[in-house]
Amino acid sequence: MWQTNLKVLTVGALVLGFFTMVAHIVPQQASEVPEVLTLGAGATPEMLAAAGEKIFSGAGGCTSCHGLGTRAPNLVTDERGAGPIGARCGKQEAGKDCKTYLWEALTAPAAFVVKGYQPIMLDQRRTLSVDQIWALVAYLESNGGEVTVTGQDIVDAQAAAGAPKPAAAPAGERIDAVAVLGEFGCSACHKLKGEGGEIGPAFDGMGGRLTKDYLREAIVDPKAKVAKGYEENKDMMPVAFGEQLTKEQLNALIDYLASLK
Amino acid sequence: MSQRSGLPFWPRHAFWQGVALTIVAYVLFDWGIPALRFVGIPSAPVPNSVVVEFMFIALIGIFMYVSENEARWAEFKQPIQSALVNRDKKWLRSSLLVVLPLFVGFMTFESTRPRVTADIQPRSIHPAPPTSITFRNKTIQLAGLENPLRKQGNLEDHMKEGRRVYYQNCLPCHGDLLDGKGHFGLGFSPTPLAFDGGNLPLLTESFVFWRVAKGGPGLPKEGTPWNSAMPVWEDFLTEDEIWSVIIFLYDQAGFKPRAWEAEGKEAAHE
Amino acid sequence: MTDPLYLLQAAADTAGAYGRFPGIGARNAVWIAAQVHLMFAAFVLGVPMFAVVTELIGIVTKDYKYDKMSKEFTRLLVFAYSATALWGGVLLFFLTTLYPKFWGYMARLFGPSMWVYIGIFFFESFTLYLYYYGWDRWNHGRAKWGHWGLGVLLNVWGTTVMFIANGWLTFMMSPPAGVTAETLPEQIGLANALMNMTWMPINIHRLIGNAVFGGAVVAAYAGYRFLAAKTDEERAHYDWMGYVGNFIAISTFIVLPFAGYYLGREIYEYNQTMGITMMGGFMSWLWIVQAVLIGMLFLAANYYLWLGMGRIPGAERFVPYTKWMLLLLLLCWLVWATPHTMLASREEMAAMGGSSHPFLNVLGLMSAKNTAVNIMILTTFLSFLMYRRANVRPTVSWAKNGTLVQGAMFGLAAAVVLFYGVYGYFVESIVRIGFSVYQVAAVILCIVGVTVIDVLLGRGAQSRGEIRWGQMPDRSQYALFVLAITFTWLMGLMGFARSGIRQHWHVYEVMRDTSTYASTPGLGYAANMITACVVIFLSLVSVIFWLGGLAESAAHKPKPASGD
Repeated sequence: MWQTNLKVLTVGALVLGFFTMVAHIVPQQASEVPEVLTLGAGATPEMLAAAGEKIFSGAGGCTSCHGLGTRAPNLVTDERGAGPIGARCGKQEAGKDCKTYLWEALTAPAAFVVKGYQPIMLDQRRTLSVDQIWALVAYLESNGGEVTVTGQDIVDAQAAAGAPKPAAAPAGERIDAVAVLGEFGCSACHKLKGEGGEIGPAFDGMGGRLTKDYLREAIVDPKAKVAKGYEENKDMMPVAFGEQLTKEQLNALIDYLASLK
Repeated sequence: MSQRSGLPFWPRHAFWQGVALTIVAYVLFDWGIPALRFVGIPSAPVPNSVVVEFMFIALIGIFMYVSENEARWAEFKQPIQSALVNRDKKWLRSSLLVVLPLFVGFMTFESTRPRVTADIQPRSIHPAPPTSITFRNKTIQLAGLENPLRKQGNLEDHMKEGRRVYYQNCLPCHGDLLDGKGHFGLGFSPTPLAFDGGNLPLLTESFVFWRVAKGGPGLPKEGTPWNSAMPVWEDFLTEDEIWSVIIFLYDQAGFKPRAWEAEGKEAAHE
Repeated sequence: MTDPLYLLQAAADTAGAYGRFPGIGARNAVWIAAQVHLMFAAFVLGVPMFAVVTELIGIVTKDYKYDKMSKEFTRLLVFAYSATALWGGVLLFFLTTLYPKFWGYMARLFGPSMWVYIGIFFFESFTLYLYYYGWDRWNHGRAKWGHWGLGVLLNVWGTTVMFIANGWLTFMMSPPAGVTAETLPEQIGLANALMNMTWMPINIHRLIGNAVFGGAVVAAYAGYRFLAAKTDEERAHYDWMGYVGNFIAISTFIVLPFAGYYLGREIYEYNQTMGITMMGGFMSWLWIVQAVLIGMLFLAANYYLWLGMGRIPGAERFVPYTKWMLLLLLLCWLVWATPHTMLASREEMAAMGGSSHPFLNVLGLMSAKNTAVNIMILTTFLSFLMYRRANVRPTVSWAKNGTLVQGAMFGLAAAVVLFYGVYGYFVESIVRIGFSVYQVAAVILCIVGVTVIDVLLGRGAQSRGEIRWGQMPDRSQYALFVLAITFTWLMGLMGFARSGIRQHWHVYEVMRDTSTYASTPGLGYAANMITACVVIFLSLVSVIFWLGGLAESAAHKPKPASGD
């Protein structure tokens, strides 16, 4: 009887072994998980920094200003001999360590403005979630410094925040288009009444050149058409205005720009 | 023995039949298939991995053959049994005891010995395409996408344009005859795709568009390790140029692109 | 730009989304629990189908041995049933502790159906006990039919339970259109979620698969009992039981590829990317492994039949043909196992001019593989036919012509299969896909037509001698084990394929897997897991069989032991 049992076991082991072997011989392809980050309490510094890099160079639109050396300080490269941001972030503001400083810089940019620059940056919580901002902080720290952000920061921040949404203007109230331009930092790139940057076409005289429909498209979907002479800068215009502006703000802005003959 | 073979060299004994069948199978797989070249059928040496796979199947089959009826099985077992127990077969036993371990040792040595050749790199040659790609900052939905040029303008013009694009860009590697044997082609591993093979009709045009636009660097993980030298053509060619070269390719190779199945079904899942 | 969305969802996953499991990790723990539960479930759903059919045959033919076999199996069911429930419990606890967030989502969505599930489960158990313990009580006349009705009811409960659970798991594969990451479970209609796009194909596929599995396990059980038998009488009984089990397994198995084809099509229609991932993406090599397994199944089944002909008087006249049938099966297996893209070294690739072989490339395509599998089905059917006809000497006047017509049907079906297989190379793939329907239709028509003729031919036929049940070489019984093990392993492999094509999603494109186990492993890893599951399952089944044996020997105590 035991001989039979042994034979049965051997046959079973051989068959199972054969199938397993075949499966080991063929190429071992595992499915790739698209770069996704478990940003929670368990997030590691590497994950955060990797996520931050994607936001920095992608959805965050940070490179529109940072890295050109004129509108905003360089972050990933040297700035005035102080090294990249990770090396200098702890010394910018007295009493604030690197992490705290960067968090403040992203969520309350006007609180401390680096000398020589204009306060044109916005609270990034308008477009990014808190964990994305922490990922950005981690990425910036990793450029020249040590990442001190932990998953716990995210959990705390999530608990503290109901991320403020852009306040919708009460219906019927007249909207000051110039204030909207200021709020969204448009003049950083577009000249208005002779003042402002030259990264995008000047607002002055825009109404004479462009229709209202064109303006609307240019704000909501800036990549659809690019003004002659500005092709190189076409990635600079933030693409998220269509979502950030309220309907009233957008209409007011278009009316205003169209009136600039 | 039930079988009466007319061949003079064909063994009558089941054991030797088994041995002979094993040799025949090996000769067929390793030499027979490549030799089809000489009778005008395109063929080439069979990779080792496939020969091994085929031999496994053949061995299972041969085992079934010798054991599938009682008489043959008894006959097959008889020499093995006698080699194991008969007194006068001691020399055979002893030599087997030496030869078998040596053989196993040699096989182990062969499979683990360091070589200068690169390791075999398994990859899937037609990885699943993404649903959409970004082509020069424009999002293009690949699923269900047809070649837009087939519906607009003159097909002859597109062909002509495709020919120009092909001869200016693709020729050095993919070759004059679209056989993947351009001047530079043989310098690469993997070698450039031959369009005259059976691959094109298996692919939708949108798949080819994706491969041309994103090149080797744009392959997903499952397509790796893939040292494809295919450039990222979106940096050099416009959308229309790629579409027209695709028209040219299918036309020249004489294939029709694979059509999408069940049109509009993707829309059901949004 | 989808990344921000993922990030948002990832952010929403707090620390409590996943639990830890010591040693093997959470994913493997759930993998084993789910797979072993599924195998037992297939067992307790497949064997009742088997039992009900054999009981009916017993009632109709008044052949007592069918009834005896039916009862023997129902006894095993009682044990297997608790093992199923046990592993179901393990799975449930693992899910709630290791994947709490995911399971919470499923529970919020499917809650009411889970209550119904448990209710039916209760009825099912009760029916099973009535069915088993009432066997000898309701054994005659109208009561016997009532008892058979209980068996049918048992199957109805079992099938309903399976359909409900299939709704849950197919929802994970193909959530209804319009469900997104933001959709709250409460906003999804329950019926809508249950009856999603892949629900019916999975139901059908599993129903047939369970019947196959039931037959195969029965055959393996009989095989073991045959080897362990001490008397000729016992040997004869278990030899016959093994034959019946194998017959049911193989005859239902022949339809399984069509159900699988239907499922695959629905997956393609649901989401092209999912389909390509399954057939051409990272899973493409899985089909080569599957081809090896299925080739093994066909060969083992035929081998068993050929060996079985040794115990049938009159079968000698078919013996010379079997080696050619073997050759045909092997050739088909080779075609099916030929990879399209080959593993090759640099030099080999240079010699081939790419990674596909200029000649074998032709055999690597779907057209060739469909043709191969249809020819294999036809050959297996021919083996069955030869087995059936072995000891039959027809007496009807048209016997000769009838056999000729049968032969013509085989020839015609094979010709149709080959014609469309070859013609498939000359048409577009969209047309070629349609060809497989013609091939399948030809094979099915042939099987039905030939069987009908064969039944008519057998009327009033003389016998060339009784089948000598029990005079079967041991090798044949090992073939039955190989069949059962291969079926079980195949179930694990295809389960991996079905669940693996979701990739890093718990619910496809709705709920992301953000655990450390999100990436789907390669085949070697999966094979280790499948082998582990199969070993666990088979060991437990052996224990159940042993327990069944204990119960039996207790029941037949007074029987004198012979030959000890």
